[in-house]
Amino acid sequence: MHDTEHASHDHEESFIRKYIFSLDHKTIGKQFLIYGLIMFFVGGGLALLFRWQLAYPDEPLPIIGASQQYLDEGEVVTGADRMWERIYDSDKEEWLETNMPSGVITPQFYNMLFTMHATIMVFFVVVPILVGAFGNFLIPLMIGTRDMAFPILNMLSFWLAVLAAIVMAVGFFVPGGHAAAGWTGYAPLSADPQWTGVEWGQNLWAISLLIQGFSSLVGSINYITTIINMRAPGMTLFRMPLVIWSLFIVAILLLLAFPVLSSALALLIFDRLAGTTFFSATAEGGGDPLLWQHLFWFFGHPEVYILILPGMGIASELIAVFSRKPVFGYRSMVWAMIAIAFLGWIVWGHHMFQSGMRPGLGSIFMTTTMLIAVPSAIKTFNWLGTMFRGSIRFTTPMLHGIAFVSMFVIGGLSGIYMANTPVDIFIHDTYYIVAHIHYVVFGGSLFAIFGGIIFWFPKMYGRYMNDALSKIHFWLTFIAFNCTFFPMHILGVGGHMRRISNPQQYEFLQGFEGMNIFITMSAFTLGFAQLILVFNFFWSMYKGKVAEQNPWHVNTLEWEAPTPVPHGNFGQIPTVHRGPYEYSVPGEESDWIPQAQPEHAPATSGD
Amino acid sequence: MMAQNNVEMRESDRPPLSNARLGVLVLLGAETMLFSGLIGTFLVFRVGNVTWPPPSHIGIELPRVVTGINTALLLLSGYTMFQAWRAIQKDSVKQLRNWLLITGMLGLLFLGVQGSEWVQLIRNGLTLQSGVYGGIFYVLIGCHAVHVLSAVIWVFIVFGMAMAGRFSASRYTGVDTCTIYWIFVVALWPILYVLVYLL
Amino acid sequence: MLQWLPENVSTFGQGVDNLFYAIYYLTLVVFILVMGTLIVFLIKYRHQEGKKADYIEGSTTLEIAWTAATTVIVFVLAMFSYPQWNNIKSPTQFPENPDVVVQVSGKQFNWDMTYPGPDNEFGTDDDLELENELHVPVNAVVHIRLTSIDVIHSFFVPQLRLKQDALPNRFINVWFEATKAGRYEIPCAELCGFGHSGMLGYLNVHTQADYDAWVQERWPQ
Repeated sequence: MHDTEHASHDHEESFIRKYIFSLDHKTIGKQFLIYGLIMFFVGGGLALLFRWQLAYPDEPLPIIGASQQYLDEGEVVTGADRMWERIYDSDKEEWLETNMPSGVITPQFYNMLFTMHATIMVFFVVVPILVGAFGNFLIPLMIGTRDMAFPILNMLSFWLAVLAAIVMAVGFFVPGGHAAAGWTGYAPLSADPQWTGVEWGQNLWAISLLIQGFSSLVGSINYITTIINMRAPGMTLFRMPLVIWSLFIVAILLLLAFPVLSSALALLIFDRLAGTTFFSATAEGGGDPLLWQHLFWFFGHPEVYILILPGMGIASELIAVFSRKPVFGYRSMVWAMIAIAFLGWIVWGHHMFQSGMRPGLGSIFMTTTMLIAVPSAIKTFNWLGTMFRGSIRFTTPMLHGIAFVSMFVIGGLSGIYMANTPVDIFIHDTYYIVAHIHYVVFGGSLFAIFGGIIFWFPKMYGRYMNDALSKIHFWLTFIAFNCTFFPMHILGVGGHMRRISNPQQYEFLQGFEGMNIFITMSAFTLGFAQLILVFNFFWSMYKGKVAEQNPWHVNTLEWEAPTPVPHGNFGQIPTVHRGPYEYSVPGEESDWIPQAQPEHAPATSGD
Repeated sequence: MMAQNNVEMRESDRPPLSNARLGVLVLLGAETMLFSGLIGTFLVFRVGNVTWPPPSHIGIELPRVVTGINTALLLLSGYTMFQAWRAIQKDSVKQLRNWLLITGMLGLLFLGVQGSEWVQLIRNGLTLQSGVYGGIFYVLIGCHAVHVLSAVIWVFIVFGMAMAGRFSASRYTGVDTCTIYWIFVVALWPILYVLVYLL
Repeated sequence: MLQWLPENVSTFGQGVDNLFYAIYYLTLVVFILVMGTLIVFLIKYRHQEGKKADYIEGSTTLEIAWTAATTVIVFVLAMFSYPQWNNIKSPTQFPENPDVVVQVSGKQFNWDMTYPGPDNEFGTDDDLELENELHVPVNAVVHIRLTSIDVIHSFFVPQLRLKQDALPNRFINVWFEATKAGRYEIPCAELCGFGHSGMLGYLNVHTQADYDAWVQERWPQ
């Protein structure tokens, strides 16, 4: 809290100070990005495992199953098997044998897989990349300052996130397995080991999320302070790029929402370890079975907007830059984001329509929830308006921006079904909600993330990403994504419940076997397509075409800084003279006027 | 740090609140939500039970009077902290030290009284495992006690810095941020006292 | 897409389906309009040499127009939904004098059905407990007292368009009236542990004659 000793370091820094325990916001941003990409593969791998089970219930997994069968016959010992042997003494039960006897995923392991898939994707991939990576990298550069307000806290934020990931990873290997009560961790299922058989897995899950909460807290204090206090001269609030607005709003949401989850997690840990009964209604003097859901979703719904708002901000940047036009209705875009953030606090009950909450409350929550359609529509129409009469360049980042808008439209429209209480009675807890969340968080946030990575890569590493590979990655991802998740709407309409490990146990789901196989095939394609992105990412870091300072001809301040961006970002702090989206101004020769370019004519309106 | 980071920043561009002050205020937003979650939980149990305390806990009385006096002690410490803050503004490091010491001692006294009450309550049979009544009592009050403890530690750190002559009328961010946090922790307590002990 | 809906066999199911259809066509039209506009824009306003984009900052009229239009649609949709919702879920609006009252209790990983017997009171000697089998007559109002003995389960009958979570230590009232005899599945729709997948009961909807015979067999008089 006191003034840090941080000052501009002109001297050479050691490797550790420069790349590991760095105080530089750009390095921390890149650290978060790589952290997120690694976790993306962990989370995605878990998804592929359970997709196999859904398509071919109780059949052995292709590779693991085969090697496991060899192992049963006492023949092959692969490197992986040796690793497991080291982790577990041979006289203890073997990890693979417990979770995948003969390569078949057990129902318990299945529950753990989808629980950890969602937990990792939400808390360790999308938030770290959108907020941690883009927030850290972009905020100081785009508002024109030298670093974050509290660089040491910034570093702490990253290393707390690493610690959280380690704690979460340990959970996979403790006896009893990892948390298996869904990423929502509904109590009483999660509150008492007797219901799931999960002992320390669930505790570590809660502890890890508590640590992640501290990381988010520290990060959001930093973002809010930096954006309020450290903008370059002339950078008024309404001259800030929309991506900064979105990160600002998200920081406030994180700041206020996460502590509520922390309080719930603390109560959960007390229930599990200290013998309290906050969530166990059946115990003597027991608690309330719906309490957890209220606390969780009071955090959880703002969390959903934390996952999508920065995506909206990034998409707005991409669409304006590559349409060479100002963002249509800049101010209404800002107010729409504020409206979404505000509504996010009063809609949590729509996750609980069928939970036994009073039906009258259901009607109120339905109304507030459907109101979110209004700011969402404003944003969508404004993106269309931005492209209207533009001069659209189909660069790869722009393709991702367009994909974001289209997928967000589907995800938004499918939300109306579930907001509607009577329809929700049928599709609640079916694959319809799975389709919806993936259209918003994968189709929305991840396309924005991919687009943002390709767009800002030249500023991060001074090189372009390989465009051919990026385009292949985009089209494969776009097609495989839709093939994976669109059919889930149909499963949902058919009543296919989520979180069941074997749909063939049900008479009324017999017709969906082919569709489940198709989804799994698409999911594997989707997964392998991401290898292209990662290869491209690391290859281009060293071998990509060298980029000039402002390759896309963008107005915002980050492109004023030299490439690669030095410590302290700018030679002299730029002064801002206008809004961020002055593209194709009539009477100007070039079709862009950087924010920092001084006026050459008598003063015109700045924003 | 502002001056170091943004050398070019003109005096008129200085934000009204320094980074450190703003940061602590933002932190208090998060603290408020943390306590909102716990107080919300308390209210769910309080409203959800027809009789409070639940029938199984009849005979256990929360020490209202002692805690009331303790509340007064804590409120007094808010006043002394405010005096410390005033003192450094008048550049009186000596008074700052004295007031900080008194504040820290009052905080410790508060914690001591709370602790002895807890011992008494546990002897009377009210434990963490006594249903939601005992559970939420210890968690909510304990969460506040942890905050008081960290605030006390912070006060003593600031006290140490004051001994080392780190503050003056033009340079007292450390006192400032500590005061903000202390006032928050003090102001929170009467709400908890009324909710948990009196209602 | 909606032909995938399971057959509806409850009195209130048609109302749910109608809303489903209404939203489906509404969102389909919006989707086609938005995507159509997007594609037209992408083709028409693609970058062409020597052509500059128009400098358009926005339009207050349009912003107000689409804000107002969306708000109106949302509220109209909500107005149509309230009665359906209340009809299905509000205990005060349930049809009175049910023909059958049953207590359904979720447990890991079965549905326990308890019939009060001829005296219509639970907890007496003539209660009948069945595991996973629920018997009701067709075209009769059925009230269910839904509860759970361990964790949260969810009582789901796709063909009835009915879903309600079962909470431990609470009783939630549910009603339905089946319009077609048959045997329907009652899966659990809320994750309840390692046996969640496969937690399955059956709703047997009998003709009145069959049901009377079943009652006669259980409580011979």
